[in-house]
Amino acid sequence: MEDLLLYLTNGVFMGATYALVALGVTLIVGIMGVVNFAHGELYVLAGYFSALFAQAMGLDPLSSMLVAVVLVFFFGLVIERTLIRPTYGEEMYSLIITFILYIILQNAYLVIFGPYPNKPPNWVSGASNLFGLFYYGNQRLASFAAAAAVITVFMVVMHKTWLGRVIRSVAMDREMASILGVNTERVNMLSFGLGCVLAACAGVILTPVFPVTPTVGVGISLTAFVVMILGGLGSFTGCIVGGLLLGIVENLGVGYVSSGYKHVFGFVILILVLFFRPTGLFGQKQL
Amino acid sequence: MSLLDVKTISKHFGGVQAINRVSFSVRSGEILGMIGPNGAGKTTLFNLITGAVPPDGGEISFQGGDITGLKPHQTCRKGISRTYQVTRPFGKMTCMENVCVALMENRPDLKGAARRQKAEELLGMTSLAGKEEWLAASLNLIDKKRLELARALGANPKLILLDEVLGGLNSMEMETALELIKSIRDRYEITVVWIEHIMGAIMTVCDRVIVLDQGALICQGSPEEVCRDPLVIRAYLGEQRDA
Amino acid sequence: MQAAGTAKDMKKLLGGESTPWLIVLAGFSFLPLVLGPYWLNSAILGLFYVMMASSWNLLAGFTGQVSFAHAAFAGIGCYTSGILSAKLGLHPLLGLPLGVALAALLSLCLGALCIKMGGIYLSLTTLAFSEIVHIVIQNEYQITRGTMGLKVPFIVGPYSKVTAFYIMLVAAAGIVWLVRWIINADMGLRFRAVLNDETAAQSLGVPVMRVRLTAFVISGAMAGLAGSLYGHYLTLITPHIPSLDMMFHVLAMAVIGGLGTLAGPIVGAFLLEVLSEFVRQFSDKYHVLVFACVALVFARFAPQGLVGLAVDWWKKAMSGGRSA
Repeated sequence: MEDLLLYLTNGVFMGATYALVALGVTLIVGIMGVVNFAHGELYVLAGYFSALFAQAMGLDPLSSMLVAVVLVFFFGLVIERTLIRPTYGEEMYSLIITFILYIILQNAYLVIFGPYPNKPPNWVSGASNLFGLFYYGNQRLASFAAAAAVITVFMVVMHKTWLGRVIRSVAMDREMASILGVNTERVNMLSFGLGCVLAACAGVILTPVFPVTPTVGVGISLTAFVVMILGGLGSFTGCIVGGLLLGIVENLGVGYVSSGYKHVFGFVILILVLFFRPTGLFGQKQL
Repeated sequence: MSLLDVKTISKHFGGVQAINRVSFSVRSGEILGMIGPNGAGKTTLFNLITGAVPPDGGEISFQGGDITGLKPHQTCRKGISRTYQVTRPFGKMTCMENVCVALMENRPDLKGAARRQKAEELLGMTSLAGKEEWLAASLNLIDKKRLELARALGANPKLILLDEVLGGLNSMEMETALELIKSIRDRYEITVVWIEHIMGAIMTVCDRVIVLDQGALICQGSPEEVCRDPLVIRAYLGEQRDA
Repeated sequence: MQAAGTAKDMKKLLGGESTPWLIVLAGFSFLPLVLGPYWLNSAILGLFYVMMASSWNLLAGFTGQVSFAHAAFAGIGCYTSGILSAKLGLHPLLGLPLGVALAALLSLCLGALCIKMGGIYLSLTTLAFSEIVHIVIQNEYQITRGTMGLKVPFIVGPYSKVTAFYIMLVAAAGIVWLVRWIINADMGLRFRAVLNDETAAQSLGVPVMRVRLTAFVISGAMAGLAGSLYGHYLTLITPHIPSLDMMFHVLAMAVIGGLGTLAGPIVGAFLLEVLSEFVRQFSDKYHVLVFACVALVFARFAPQGLVGLAVDWWKKAMSGGRSA
C-alpha cells in the first residue's frame, strides 16, 4: 500500500511536469501545425540558464528562473522567425528542420556546458511526511506546486483573457481569424514563444529535482509528444489529463514491472492511441 | 438509361447535416448541372460519389453496380473522374507526367510511346500544346484548370464530375471552355455532372439541372423549369449571381 | 523544389543516362588499389551511408513520408543476422536474408500502422518505434550484450577490408540501381504523384495506401540489408546503429545531397563521410555539430540539396531559358 502510494505520488508529480511540457508542444502544433522536435532542448536550455545564473552570478532562485525563462522566450522568437516561419505549410521541412535543430542544440550543450549534470540549488530543503506513510522531498513538492500554478495560469490566460481568445481563434480557423483582423503572423510568433516559455518553465521548475545533462532533451520532447497525442491534439485539458495519466502509468510500470523499460510504456501507449483512437482522449482537431 | 444512381445519400460532419437524403440519377450521355447557394453541399456530394468521403446512409450505384463505400481510386478505375474547385496539380511534375499518371492507372493498354502520344493528344485538346514539358507548378491559373481537365480525361472516365471550372475565366476563355465541355460529351461520349455558379453557362450547355440547398435536393428539371421554380428563387434570394 | 523547369532537368535529377553511373562504378572499383586502410574504411562507411541515405530518400524524398525508423530497421537487420551468427553459428551470408526479411516484415507492420496517418503522426510513430527498438536492444543484455557490443563474425572468409569494400560496393550499387529503376518506372510516377498530392492522386486511380506501404517495405528492407552488412563488417555491433544519432546522419546526408533526387543521397553520403573524417582529425567534439549546422542551412535555404543546386547552376549557365 505504501509502495502504491509512493508510485502514485511520483506519478502525479511527474505527470504535472509532463502536462506542462505537453501544453507547450500542443500550443505550437495547434497554431502552426509544426511539431517542434527541439522542444525538450529548450527545457534543457532554461535549466542550464537557471543553474548558471544561480551559481555563477549568485542570483536568488526566483530571479534566475525568471531570467532563464525570458531568455528562452526570446530565443524561441528568433527560432520562429528564422527557421519556422519560412517553412510554414511545408510540413515535411519543418519536421526535418526542428529535428536538425534538436541535434544542434544537444551537441551545442555538450560543447558549451560539458557532459556533467548541472542544477541550480534547491529552493527548499528537507522532506515532508506524506499520508503518514513515507517521506517525500520538499523540493519535489515545491516544484509540483509551481508546475500546477503555471498550468493554472496558462489555462486561465487561454480561456479567460483576450490574448487567449485570439490564439484559440487562430487555432480553430486561421482564415476566419485573419479576415476578422487578427495578425496571424504575430500570433504565430507569440504562440511559438509562449510554447517555448512553457518548456522553459518546466525546465526551471524541474532542474532542482532532476539535474540537466545535454542528452535529456530528447526524452522530454518524446514524452511531450506522447502526452499530446494521448490527450488529443488541440486539447489543453487533454494534455493535463494525459500527462497525469502517463506519469502514473509510467511510475506504476517502473515500480511493478521494470525500470529499464520506463520510456517504452509511453511509446507503446502512443502507438496504441494512434491505432485505436487517433484523436486521443479529448481531441477534436485532426491535423 | 441511368449511369449513376444516388439513393437517399446522407452525410453529417460533427453537428452539421451536410447532405440530407439526396436522391437523383444521371442519365448516360447527358450534361447535368448542379447549382445551389454556397455551402449547399455540392462539393460534398461529389466527394460522396467518388468515395473521398464515406456516406452515413444511402447507396450509390454506377452502371448498375453498387459503388457505395468504395475508395476514390476504385471509383476512378470504374470510370468516374473529377476535377477540383481549387486545382490540385502535381506541381513538381511536368504536364505530360500529370496526364500520364491518370493514363497509367486507367489505360493499362497504353505504355511508353503510345501513352505519351495519348497524353499529348489530351493536352492539345485542352489548349496546352507546347507546354507538355512545363512543370505544373509554373502554370498560370487557367492553364492549371486546363491541366486538371486533361488529367481527369486521362483517367478514361465514363462520368466526369466538374467542380466550378469556369471561375476566374474571361468571356473568351469561357466560350472555349463551354465548347470543350460540350465536345467531351459529344465526341468522347463522357457523361458530365457540372457544379457551376455561372447561370448563363448552365442554361446554354446543360440538359438538366438539379438544385441543392442546405444539403437537400430542392428541385430538378430542365434549366428553364428550374429557374422558374419558386423554391429555387427563394434559395437564391439575397445572393449575388452572375448570369 | 523549384529546381528544374523542364523534363530534361527532371531527368538529370532522377538519374539520367546509364553511362555516367557505370563510369562512376568502374572508378569506385579501383579504390582499394589506391586507398590505405584508414581511407578504405571510410569508403566502406560511405557505402553503408549511401545505402541508408538512398533508401531513406525513396521513402521521404519520393513519397513524402518522413520516417525516423530507418536506423531502427538497419539495427533490426544488423542484430538479427548478428545474433543468429554469434549465438547459433549461422553463417552471416545466410543470416543476411533473414535480417532483411525481418526488417521488411516490421516495416510492413509499421507502415500499415501509419497508413492512415498524416505527416506528423507518421513521423512521431516511427520515432516511437525507433526508440522502442533502441531501448529493447540496449536492455536485453543477455542476448544483445547491450552497449558492451556483440561480437559477430566477418561477412565471409578471413577479415579483409578489400573484401568488405567490394561486397558493400555491389550491395550499394544494387540498391542505387533498384531505386533508380523504381523512380523511372511506372511505380516512380506513382510515388511522385503521392508525394505531390495524395488526394488528387487517389482520385486519378492511384492506390495511395498501397504505394506508401510499398515504399515503406522496400526502404525498410534496404536498410536491413545495409545494417546487416555493416554489422558484419564492424564485427562488433552496438545499439549505436539503431539510434537517433545514426538516423540524424542519414537524414542530414539525404537533405544536404538533395531529397527527391537520385544522386543526392550518394553525394551527400560520401561528402559528409569524407568531411567528418577531416573534422574528426581536428576535434571529435565538434563534428556532429558542424554537420548539423550545415544540414540546417541546407534544409532552410537550399532544400533541393547540392545536386539540386548543381542542376540549377547548370541550367543558368546553359541558357536564360524557361525557369519555374
